[in-house]
Amino acid sequence: MNGLIRVELARYRSRQVIVLLLVLAALLAAFVAFESAWDTRPLTKTEIGTAQARAAEDAGRSDIKADIASCEKDPTQYLGPGTTVAECKDSLTSATNSYLPRKPLSLSKTVKGNGIGLALLVIAILIIAGASFAGADWTSGAIRNQVVFEPRRSRLWAAKAIAVAISSGVAAFVILGGFWLSLYLVAAERGVPHGSGPMGDVGWHLLRVVALAMGAGVGAYALTMLFRSTAATIGVLFAYSIGGEILLYLLPFDGIGRWSPGNNVFGWLETRLEFFDPTSHCVQSGSCSGPEHISHLDSGLYLLVLLAISCGLSWAAFRRRDI
Amino acid sequence: MTDLVVETRGLRKVYRDRGRRVVAVDGLDLSVERGGVHGFLGPNGSGKTTTIQILLGLARPDSGTVTVLGEHYPAAVPSAMARVGAVLEDGQFAPDLSGRRNLELLARSADLPKARVEEVLERVDLTGVAKRRYRGYSLGMRRRLGLASALLKQPELVILDEPSNGLDPAGIRDMREVIPRLAESGVSVVLSSHILAEVQQVCSSVSIISEGVLLKEGRVKDLLGASVTRTRVRVSDPDLAAAVLSRAGYEVTKDAGHLVVEGHDHPEQVTRALAAENLFVSELSAIRPTLESFFLKLTGHRPTTSTDPSERAADETAEHIVDGELTDMERAAAGPEPESVPEPVPVPDPEPTATPDEPTEPGDDA
Repeated sequence: MNGLIRVELARYRSRQVIVLLLVLAALLAAFVAFESAWDTRPLTKTEIGTAQARAAEDAGRSDIKADIASCEKDPTQYLGPGTTVAECKDSLTSATNSYLPRKPLSLSKTVKGNGIGLALLVIAILIIAGASFAGADWTSGAIRNQVVFEPRRSRLWAAKAIAVAISSGVAAFVILGGFWLSLYLVAAERGVPHGSGPMGDVGWHLLRVVALAMGAGVGAYALTMLFRSTAATIGVLFAYSIGGEILLYLLPFDGIGRWSPGNNVFGWLETRLEFFDPTSHCVQSGSCSGPEHISHLDSGLYLLVLLAISCGLSWAAFRRRDI
Repeated sequence: MTDLVVETRGLRKVYRDRGRRVVAVDGLDLSVERGGVHGFLGPNGSGKTTTIQILLGLARPDSGTVTVLGEHYPAAVPSAMARVGAVLEDGQFAPDLSGRRNLELLARSADLPKARVEEVLERVDLTGVAKRRYRGYSLGMRRRLGLASALLKQPELVILDEPSNGLDPAGIRDMREVIPRLAESGVSVVLSSHILAEVQQVCSSVSIISEGVLLKEGRVKDLLGASVTRTRVRVSDPDLAAAVLSRAGYEVTKDAGHLVVEGHDHPEQVTRALAAENLFVSELSAIRPTLESFFLKLTGHRPTTSTDPSERAADETAEHIVDGELTDMERAAAGPEPESVPEPVPVPDPEPTATPDEPTEPGDDA
């Protein structure tokens, strides 16, 4: 089996399209890392001075002064119960920070923003790579030759799946690991927090992304072995992610957001996902009970069941079908 | 007891095409003896490719039994396939890999030693281009790489599905030389081909199927020997000659300016009868049966109805051979003319000279 897996790994690497896709993913990661570092670059003295001047200018405006005076007469009426006179000025004038052109780098915030965006892009690329790996075998007819040389079809199917899982995992780890390593080095150089706290979040996020990339690659491979076409797989995944989302929200049930593909993907990738469940029924009845939460276990199980169904159907079909 | 490398009994395969049931193979009984080259013939859609797919474990029959090299399917497909090589009509390789790398991966997937790759590359004369990517290979090189992959396993049985399809004349000639050499080395070969002249030249036995049913099988010599020989005669007055020969008791048909005397291969008697009436023969040839004519009679089909351009190219070559319209290049590729496809020889007018004992010159039997 090991020899067969090595053969399939070599076949995966040899696909020119896959190599190009992986290069594209690496370039995207480099671009997003550069963009993240550039958009959080340290402020210049001029930028800080300009912000301070604008804050002072605002604080001197007559309408704001009038508001502060009104507030100081009766802070509780103006700002609510429990407030004091001292809070009026702070609450009604903008701090210098509000006028700064950008925020400093935060690894924890990057996980939620660019980190997840990049992870989704890389996973999408690995889905196309996994589908293309299987699709090329069917399109070229090479699968026939392969079955003639390895007629034990379950072994062949499994070897290919394992090769896709390993390749997708390694690719995701290298590309996204490189992204986070570069941001870690930037954070360290700038002296922003980069210790075990933020890096712990990043590390767990990276592990979950790698796991999802492996599953997504294998799922795309399995569907392509089932449909025998890369385009069909991508079409089905697109229809499921868009059409499934629309269909779910049209159903007259509450709590349907739990089953949304998007929510489960984000639930798995984000450190903690909270979402509102705006199903039509809930909104109409006014019974929406606030933000809901999908745990990593819930979303992981959801995605695992989808993967198991795809793999089961694909394996069963490949074992029996005429090639 | 005969040693069979392939044996099917009551083989049946039904496809579903848009809800319609299409019977591809219908109770096929096929027997291929060990050794030699066995031709597997049939019109398009007759079930040849489906049968080959079943023999290679690529498709499952709905009913019937299959035994390959003594191994009973489906349980023993893996052990049988370890001893079977195949060149599939559309069998392809990874386009981004070199020919050598493709073979190395196939060899490794079947636990074969890497040294086998160089051996087979040399055997099919691809060593010089083994580093080149498969996508850059010509069709002839692709077929030879297919043959190399079939030989990797040192097979006891090689199944070739239309190996000459789409090849240029030189490629067809190469293939025609390789196949008998395979058989000489002790490998049993099953050859499915549209090019009946090729089959007639290289095959010792054939099976002819149509609509999924076996029509005939046996040794080529036996099958053709049972067919009736005819004589073609060209004279200045075919109508009068036909009347003369009919009166003399011959069955005569007219065909595009010449006469065909059926069931007769004694030209001296024909020329004597005509000369007695002052009718002198300008052309005389014995039309011996070819596999093509035998096939046509048996199946009622020309074997050349493919819609695939590469198949059409091969089919055209086959028809040219049949029609005697070969160009010089095609003639070179077709190799030596089969003895049973004689060519007409102009007979010096007015004296008829051909006798049955003289070597018969090639002719056509269109």
